[in-house]
Amino acid sequence: MKAWLRFSTSIVNKSVISDIMKLFDIDFNILKADITPRGGKMLVEIDGPQASESISYMEDKGIEVTPILKVVKKDTDKCLECGACVSLCPVEAISILDDWDIDIDNQKCIGCGFCISSCPTQAIALME
Amino acid sequence: MKTIEEINQKIKNGDAVVVTAAEMTLIAKDKDIKTVAEEIDVVTTGTFGAMCSSGVFFNFGHSDPPIKMNKTYLNGVEAYSGLAAVDAYLGATQPNHDLDIGLDYGGAHVIEDLVRGKEINLMTEAYGTDCYPLKKIKAPITLENINQATMVNPRNCYQNYAAATNSTQETLYTYLGTLLPNYGNVTYSSAGELSPLLNDPYFQTIGIGTRIFLCGSAGYIIGEGTQHFTEAERHHGVPITPSGTLMLKGDLKKMDSDFVRGATMPSYGPTLFVGAGIPIPILNEDIALRTSISDEDIGCKIFDYGVPRRTRPVIKETNYQELKSGKIEINGREVPTSPLSSYKRAVKVAEELKKWIQKGEFLLSNPVDLLPNKGQLVKPLNIIKPPKMVCDIERKPVIITHPTDPVKEVAKKLVDNDINHLPVVDKNGKLKGIVTSWDIADAVARGKTKLEEVMTKKVIIAREDEPVDIIARRIDKNDISGLPIIDKDNKVKGMITAEDISRLIGKKNNK
Repeated sequence: MKAWLRFSTSIVNKSVISDIMKLFDIDFNILKADITPRGGKMLVEIDGPQASESISYMEDKGIEVTPILKVVKKDTDKCLECGACVSLCPVEAISILDDWDIDIDNQKCIGCGFCISSCPTQAIALME
Repeated sequence: MKTIEEINQKIKNGDAVVVTAAEMTLIAKDKDIKTVAEEIDVVTTGTFGAMCSSGVFFNFGHSDPPIKMNKTYLNGVEAYSGLAAVDAYLGATQPNHDLDIGLDYGGAHVIEDLVRGKEINLMTEAYGTDCYPLKKIKAPITLENINQATMVNPRNCYQNYAAATNSTQETLYTYLGTLLPNYGNVTYSSAGELSPLLNDPYFQTIGIGTRIFLCGSAGYIIGEGTQHFTEAERHHGVPITPSGTLMLKGDLKKMDSDFVRGATMPSYGPTLFVGAGIPIPILNEDIALRTSISDEDIGCKIFDYGVPRRTRPVIKETNYQELKSGKIEINGREVPTSPLSSYKRAVKVAEELKKWIQKGEFLLSNPVDLLPNKGQLVKPLNIIKPPKMVCDIERKPVIITHPTDPVKEVAKKLVDNDINHLPVVDKNGKLKGIVTSWDIADAVARGKTKLEEVMTKKVIIAREDEPVDIIARRIDKNDISGLPIIDKDNKVKGMITAEDISRLIGKKNNK
């Protein structure tokens, strides 16, 4: 599953992430991170047998964990199905379906935001 | 042989056979063309793409006291009002007057908002005359409360178009969308086999006065568009590069926002997505054959938009079947493609037009005159002062250094020659990196002694045959102060710096 992790100023100097990797049997992949001494956030993918235990541990240590089903969301009213985004996706998460609709596979999406900044009608938004 | 009058009678009787251009392609695969020409009466085409050369003429009505509008803004977007007192023309690509909004909300967005029934703020200034005394007014307008809103698009429905890629090291933002570095993607914009002018490539049925589908209501072709070109290379009868164009007219008050949308090409500007469809009467076998063309028979050239010149290098010739497959091979690598124009909505346009004709709501029209199909060329604009090229910059001796040179020696070279940039080359004179006086200062501060450790290896370069204006833009875009000039073998021929360019401009102004 994918989740946003939010760090407050008080915990940026703690090594919570390396702790969970040592303590739990998990697969942990950082997709995106923006953390400064004033806090910040990280988009991660957490899987494995002890994923939920690791989340409880992070929450205990003060990290706000928000699991997300979708990394990005496409506004179907704004989308013109032009397909400008399709060739820009670095992980091939965007495809043109048989009926020429544009589909974003949120399983593959890593939240890089390139489609968002390149959309002519600003139809794609990051789910935060 | 059929006539338009006969087809119209069939439409009125409700027994005209109407198919879309995509359906026609499939039908003609299994039947001989003579039978197809007899059976099919009308083929509907469609396209839904970004068409920059679009806009709307307005007549706002007279205020009391009246005003002769001189500077006119709609939601902050300037409309040209150098016409009669309360007439104006709003162009789709006009950016917002408010620099904070800029490209995000321009002429095209105002047009979409009007079609959606939204209220728009009209602000206009005037110099004042005896008959038009007011000097400034503000008024809320809607599509309903103004006299006319007539869409007139000087150039729409390009007969084929270029596909784009980018050979450079940087991401480019163009009217053909975002182009990734190192041939990272290919974009194209024609609807291919469904596209109007590719189905009547010699304009046998399309002309002045042809009634068409324009943005959800009936519109008209009022002539060939600007830049109309008839002499392109053809394959299977259709041009393989941008050719014929149309000038279109329609009533904005009757349009549907499903088929007309404002958009912004990132870092390029506003543009209008226009849905247009042309009905093609199947008068004879030749017309039937033309409308049965398929994507694989429509050629298209991929151009390198990394070269910002009037003539761009052709990278590859392809066709729409390959482009629509989503992948194309360039230099032995598979590259993803993006359409830019919506095929889904192009189909919707062709289907909608088909429905209108089937219901008897839309009759075909005989054109007053056909569009020119030969002898139309596109002339270049020759500017008075030819642009200065990199090779025109005063030659200085080429000063270079090598990756193994000690930092101290490099520092001496910079000081002795009174320069700030030094290209680093290998023993064959090929570029390996660049080092600046700042890099040397940094090396000293950190105690580094080898040049290889401090030089910048990813170098932004200039070529001798590039205009200086392009180099100035590259300097600004990359926030650098100088670039090595290299030849086609990657050998260093000199340096061009921001100072060289200022001097060049200064000299030009002094003369």
